[in-house]
Amino acid sequence: MTIDSYRFLDFASRQIMKAWAARETRKEIPFTPLAKPLRECTVALVSTAGVARNDDLPFDQEGERRNPWWGDPSFRMIPLGTTEKDVKLYHMHIDTRFGESDLDVVLPMRRLTELACEGVIRRPAPTHYSVMGYILDPTELVEKTAPAIAAQMHHESVDAAALFPA
Amino acid sequence: MGLVQRVLETSGIPSVTLSMIPDLTRVVGVPRLAGISYPMGQPLGSPHDVDGQRAVLRATLELLTTATGPDAYIELPFKWPDSPARVRNASKDLPPPPIVDLLKKKPWLTIKLYSGHIPHVEENTQLEQSP
Repeated sequence: MTIDSYRFLDFASRQIMKAWAARETRKEIPFTPLAKPLRECTVALVSTAGVARNDDLPFDQEGERRNPWWGDPSFRMIPLGTTEKDVKLYHMHIDTRFGESDLDVVLPMRRLTELACEGVIRRPAPTHYSVMGYILDPTELVEKTAPAIAAQMHHESVDAAALFPA
Repeated sequence: MGLVQRVLETSGIPSVTLSMIPDLTRVVGVPRLAGISYPMGQPLGSPHDVDGQRAVLRATLELLTTATGPDAYIELPFKWPDSPARVRNASKDLPPPPIVDLLKKKPWLTIKLYSGHIPHVEENTQLEQSP
């Protein structure tokens, strides 16, 4: 690995992320081969920027303020065509102003549509997804949220997913 | 996020993660990972850099095709235009996240964040009320 993963982080965040990386144990890694060429695939995107539409339930920032060890483990669906005008970003550990001035910085639905026009993929899925970053206890995220996202993707015949930690 | 990717992949959806901290994402054990040396909060690139964002997205999606087995890892060649000091400076005016405020007041809890031994809510409520 030649990328310095910690280059842009402050000292404290760097130390903590290094400690987390050192703590992980080797697990078996799942792998599903792509079933068809990318140009024939419907693709869905997932962002951890805590994106929620203004007409949807906000992520629970108050809960994290009350208990800083907790992060909202739920998810929001973001229909294709949603722009920065329609959303707020709730992740409390990043500068959300970049994604709020241009949603494609964290959830590149317009760029994905352009790639479909170029023939790189077949089409963007009708629905994309967001969760919050910084979930220290991932139990509910893994046991409830991720399976619910997977189920919705299967329902929309998604062939491949791209995930964007923010 | 790596954990979400593992669930998607296990359910039969091929997946790729673009990570600004590939060191950490990789040890979680993900099928396909593209590392990029960009700052937090801007994984695809700067706001309104349409061509740059599309190039990053395209390079990320290409790993879906080129990966032949689990733990596929590539490093994207894109360079961030600003120095780390300038990046940190640009976000200096933001309020710190709640955990940073808490650890400033109770630095002895930092070990829990390092070790991943996260206090339960009840336990934490008591900690909040202690002087």
